[in-house]
Amino acid sequence: MLLFLSFLAIIMIASSHNAESKVHEIAKLNNEVRELRTHFVDGKTELMRLKMESSIVKKMMQKGLKRPERPPRKIIVKN
Amino acid sequence: MAVKEKNILNRLYFIAACMFVFAIAVLVKLVNIQFVEGDMYRQKGQERVFKTFDIPANRGNLYDSKGNLLATSVPKYDIRFDALAVNEKDFRAHIKPLCEALSKEFGKSVSYYDKIIRTARSNKNRYLLLRRNLGYSQYMRVKKFPLFEFGANRGGLIVEQRTVREHPIGKIAERTVGYERRDEQGYYTRVGLEGAYGPFLRGKEGKRKKQKIAKNQWKPIGDANEVEPQDGFDVVSTIDVNIQDIAHHELLAQLEKFEAEHGTVVVMETKTGEIKAISNLGRTKTGRYYEKLNYAVGESHEPGSTFKLMTIVAALEDKVIDSSHVVDTEDGKVKFYDRTVRDSKWGGYGKISMAKAFELSSNTAFAKIIDQNYKNNPRKFVDRLINMGLGETLGLAIKGEGKPKIPYPGDDDWYGTTLPWMAHGYGVAITPLQTLAFYNAIANDGEMVKPRFIKEVKTWDKTRERFDKEILNPTICSKETAKIAQEMMKNVVKRGTADNIRTDNFGIAGKTGTCWGNYGKDKEREYISSFAGYFPVDKPIYSCIVVIHRPNKKKGYYGSEVAAPVFKTIATKIYNDIPVIDEVSYAVVESNAVVNSYDKYYQNAQKYKTIMPNVKGMPAMDVVALLENMGLRVKLEGVGKVKNQSIKPGTKVKINQTVRLELS
Repeated sequence: MLLFLSFLAIIMIASSHNAESKVHEIAKLNNEVRELRTHFVDGKTELMRLKMESSIVKKMMQKGLKRPERPPRKIIVKN
Repeated sequence: MAVKEKNILNRLYFIAACMFVFAIAVLVKLVNIQFVEGDMYRQKGQERVFKTFDIPANRGNLYDSKGNLLATSVPKYDIRFDALAVNEKDFRAHIKPLCEALSKEFGKSVSYYDKIIRTARSNKNRYLLLRRNLGYSQYMRVKKFPLFEFGANRGGLIVEQRTVREHPIGKIAERTVGYERRDEQGYYTRVGLEGAYGPFLRGKEGKRKKQKIAKNQWKPIGDANEVEPQDGFDVVSTIDVNIQDIAHHELLAQLEKFEAEHGTVVVMETKTGEIKAISNLGRTKTGRYYEKLNYAVGESHEPGSTFKLMTIVAALEDKVIDSSHVVDTEDGKVKFYDRTVRDSKWGGYGKISMAKAFELSSNTAFAKIIDQNYKNNPRKFVDRLINMGLGETLGLAIKGEGKPKIPYPGDDDWYGTTLPWMAHGYGVAITPLQTLAFYNAIANDGEMVKPRFIKEVKTWDKTRERFDKEILNPTICSKETAKIAQEMMKNVVKRGTADNIRTDNFGIAGKTGTCWGNYGKDKEREYISSFAGYFPVDKPIYSCIVVIHRPNKKKGYYGSEVAAPVFKTIATKIYNDIPVIDEVSYAVVESNAVVNSYDKYYQNAQKYKTIMPNVKGMPAMDVVALLENMGLRVKLEGVGKVKNQSIKPGTKVKINQTVRLELS
């Protein structure tokens, strides 16, 4: 009887400990999610700034490139 | 007094009685606390140990139509320094490289950082602010600085994180992207798209019970009442960052050039009513421009000549005139009661057709023709305008849409001059977006679609709700009328007031407007220059309106010279980004000679890597490719096929060796 009760007590302690470590793990992962999210936003923002017309025009000016005067032509070859 | 036994006994009784009463009092109080006030105290105790916290939900992202971020929540970091946490040895060793790193990262001088850090240390400042609002990547760099890399306890780095709403495109479209704020009473201030779609983006707050533990920390505890926070949905708007960028910069350049007070540009997709770009810029006291107010949505103003389109469509629909109807502009001055309508051209245009009057934007022609035909029944004209949807707001999602004003016969301010002035766009008021919606309807052969800002509501990549085009009025006018109006707008650019923006590549159709504002006596004249239209002419893809308020009169004020060029550059840039697609069917031309010579080339290329092949009889262009791929330098003499080669077949060759080929 006593043995069984102490066995139950051990299980209880173990499971509560387990739960606590899960809480910590979740907090850590949450932090990681947040950091990755910012990283993603930073990257996306940078990409958008780079590919915006005004910034490309500025960069290409040094290389002597201008906006096209006519739209590009797409030729699709049908089989 | 003699001490007698009875006396002692009496005292004893007295004391016993006192103690008994005291015990009863204690018991009463105990029962009182336990049972009568018990609930209150137990609750108080709970409150000290347990508390329900609100867990904020993550706000959804706002995207443009191509998946670029317009607004998102990101953490920002404040960096502080605990000057006492660092021991003397570490401090001396790392203070210099730390200051250098800070200076390099944030731009202030090394000595500045050296000074503030040393002062903080001598003042025992444990909370010295170094920098606010760092982005994630910058924060990661700062974390790796000398001294800071030891962390909070040894390095003294204190980091505080907050979540803020960020607009990756910055000042562009700031007002349209907008924001949403909630004050303590729970009342929302809602601006732009963020405000309009707040209910989608917001999400639901969660609740969680926490228990107080050591060091003033709260530990979450399991509880059945717990509510998980629900993150907000993502909203995909119709804005196109590229078009927005173009619109913003073109408008800005023109406002600066003409030193105008404010201006707005809206680009809308003709078929669907999707707003692709909306830019609003106003001047500050220092003469710079920023997104001050959403003029396109909120500012209802006198349109001037752009309203002539509405007038002529109404008149054509009522069949009181046709486009070839001839009207006499007299000498450019026509008097109605005590007021005179003037044409911008001194001396007038003589006798012209209504189509021509539209092209040249003759005020007298419009005033006269409307006055003649509706004088006896002005209600008919006004009702027609109202039936075309001009009297009402569009019901936009963005808050603060300006109310249009169409005077009605019988109003207190309805005079005999109201009608002729209305005909050329005075005495009425309409927002740029409402004007654009009307022009768009004409481009759409009479179908008026509602200008739209939202495309989709999503959670990650799953669509929750889709928004399609909304038709406000399937036919504001007949198809024939729309066609006539289109033709007239085309001619405005081809040979009328806006012939300065004619392009050969693709056609623009539209109407200029130069509204003369502030027209009291002795007042300084102010102008509103505008241009509304669509492009390309034959198959309209986009409609666009440009309105510029109060340009510097010395630099110019005509709609054609201030607003129309902005329209043209925007249209050209957008048009040049749309590929022209040609489809051709695959023509199979197989000639044996070509196939054979290709096979021969291919075999040689596979076989010979270091040994000279026999190239006699092969065409020069194949040989050059073949030999140069092997690393040889080829010199050709003559044209045609190879007759002679300077290196014999089968010889081993070296890279950069020269080979001479005789051709015939």
